[in-house]
Amino acid sequence: MTDMIKIEDLSKKFGDTEVLKGLNGSVSKGQVICVIGPSGGGKSTFLRCLNLLEKPTSGKVTFESNELTALNEGQLNELREKMGMVFQSFNLFANMTVIENVKLAPVKVKNMSDDEANKLALSLLDQVGLQEKADAYPASLSGGQQQRVAIARALAMNPDVMLFDEPTSALDPEMVGEVLKVMQDLANDGMTMVVVTHEMGFAKNVADQVWFMDGGVFAEKGTPDEIFEHPKNERTKDFLAKILEA
Amino acid sequence: MKKFFVWLGLVLGLVVTLAGISAQPAQAADNSLARVKEKGTLVMGTSPDYPPYEFLVNRNGKERVVGMDVDIAKKIAKDLGVKLVIKQMSFDSLLVALETNKVDMVVSGMSPTPAREKSVDFSKVYYKGGQSILINKTDKGLYHDKNSFINKAVGAQTGSIQYSLGKKQIKNSTVKGLDKISDLILALKSHKVEGVIMEKPSAQAYVDNDKSLTMINGNFNLGKGENDTAIGFRKGSTSLVNEVNKSVDQIDKQGLTKDYLKDAGSYMKTNTHNTTMWHYAGYFAKGVGYTLLITVISVFFGILLGIIFALMRLSKNKLLHGLGVAYIEFVRGTPLMIQVMFVYFGIGLFINIPALTSGIIAVSLNSAAYVAEIIRGGINSVAKGQTEAARSLGLSNTQTFRSVVFPQALKNIWPALGNEFVSLIKESSIVSIIGVTDLIYQLKAVQTATYKGVAPIIVAMILYFIMTFSLSKVLNHYERSMRHD
Repeated sequence: MTDMIKIEDLSKKFGDTEVLKGLNGSVSKGQVICVIGPSGGGKSTFLRCLNLLEKPTSGKVTFESNELTALNEGQLNELREKMGMVFQSFNLFANMTVIENVKLAPVKVKNMSDDEANKLALSLLDQVGLQEKADAYPASLSGGQQQRVAIARALAMNPDVMLFDEPTSALDPEMVGEVLKVMQDLANDGMTMVVVTHEMGFAKNVADQVWFMDGGVFAEKGTPDEIFEHPKNERTKDFLAKILEA
Repeated sequence: MKKFFVWLGLVLGLVVTLAGISAQPAQAADNSLARVKEKGTLVMGTSPDYPPYEFLVNRNGKERVVGMDVDIAKKIAKDLGVKLVIKQMSFDSLLVALETNKVDMVVSGMSPTPAREKSVDFSKVYYKGGQSILINKTDKGLYHDKNSFINKAVGAQTGSIQYSLGKKQIKNSTVKGLDKISDLILALKSHKVEGVIMEKPSAQAYVDNDKSLTMINGNFNLGKGENDTAIGFRKGSTSLVNEVNKSVDQIDKQGLTKDYLKDAGSYMKTNTHNTTMWHYAGYFAKGVGYTLLITVISVFFGILLGIIFALMRLSKNKLLHGLGVAYIEFVRGTPLMIQVMFVYFGIGLFINIPALTSGIIAVSLNSAAYVAEIIRGGINSVAKGQTEAARSLGLSNTQTFRSVVFPQALKNIWPALGNEFVSLIKESSIVSIIGVTDLIYQLKAVQTATYKGVAPIIVAMILYFIMTFSLSKVLNHYERSMRHD
């Protein structure tokens, strides 16, 4: 099995602070990876390094045999289309309606016709259960609805992998479920996913691999069973104990 | 602090370079006469608010400069076999216009004083007036000559001989300098000043046309040239001056000035025949037209250049960033009035830019600096996540800016931007100093023509308000349509 994403010795410094300390790992096609760990451990920075929203200080990120860290901006844009991203704060374009949000990239980047883009957008909105909100502006939607639109928007580019950066952390508890449901459906359809999350239930049920991250390193990697039921690393045990108390 | 000095140095360096470039080119050989004949036109600069020397008349809604000086210039042009072109501007700007080749000669009731002779060549004297003081008729008997004004306030045109006479020869007086005679008359009527020093024929014209005014002899000690009126030329124009002197001699010998003054007097009568504001609607309409033209074009280029300068300032490229900052800071740090004069007279040394175009260029460039800062604020106000989301979808930097960042920035800055445009309508009035016939300029023209001070001000005020208020309404409409919640 070839690796879709390969991470080699990835490091990132902000000023003098070393946030990522030589990470290694690989994601194969169809795999769902959940990255868990305490806040400030570098999870989000790691995810943002995968599509180079954050420029690594050293090390390599390879995506579908292209070394991203060696590309220029134009080449990067082409590969970023293939890596959908969903943010903690949704980041829907405030100046556009729901359907315009979904259509924008296919029309601008792929030069898709307006008709075709409309059809695509409506079917994706249907998939996340929000077709009737097509003409609404983001400000009038609930957080859960906004996040589902954001997922539809990312899917519109027909990506090979989806990156989720704590997609439910900014949501009211009653809305977490609807978003996780959409993500679970995606995973069932065979989408490759890297998910930074605090939802341990989701990680247990959906992930193929769980990577526990703390202090800028992957302290432990394994199947959900290995990480949640038989953690070996002291830090993993600590973290899980605290989570369960809460 | 160190950075501050680096910046200051950079900006000052830029200014010194510009000044160096625009320094006067070395005086060439005298080809003044040949030059006029070659281009076939004789350009006369004048400040037409000084009847009977020069003033504006309204002929079927169109305005013309007329007066004794115009008749004299016409004769000179005819004698030279060229066409006369009249350029209007404020009295203050006349000598600069001469120096920077905007005009070939200044015929504007100007006295050939020794101080002026240092930088200007004068023709022979074509008229000897005298210096009078205009006063309110109600004050008749209170004032007899200049000595009655000790410890009082008097008015005179800025940069004029009368101004310095007042300063030097009336003890303890406050001499109030205003650019326009019409403003001085207003000041007199409202007792801001008790007398206005002006040339005898001009004073006579006002007395003839305004029943509330009268005049007294100033009894000034007049030095060389201070009683005289002559035509000014660029220094070193001997050949042109000699040719023009032939015409002046003829005028003198044949006593033509008498006819010219009579001519002017009849124009003044037609002018004051109907002084209702409605009769001058055409003047105001023209002023409104130019004010709107300048504003609309300046808003357009102001936005376009403003975006460019804002992006330069936001650029990571150090050179672009530096240029953007320097431009914005320099333009915001200097008055619009000076910028207008710099474009017209300074840059005009190298390329001949008409007054209207100069005005538009200066106002656009000025507005661009302010718009750039507004836009920069707007761009910074758009959340970073918006850009990240767009980039993660594969949109390029430019696409992200155009589709996502700029529309949101525009919505955020709309009220500030609208404010800038409304003030542009008003601030564009500064172009009147270089003779662009905008609303302010036309207001002065109507004041001069009708000998009425206040009524034209009220009309102009209402017209400005109509323009700004309509614009506000339009802007509010767009602001509402940009709301997305």
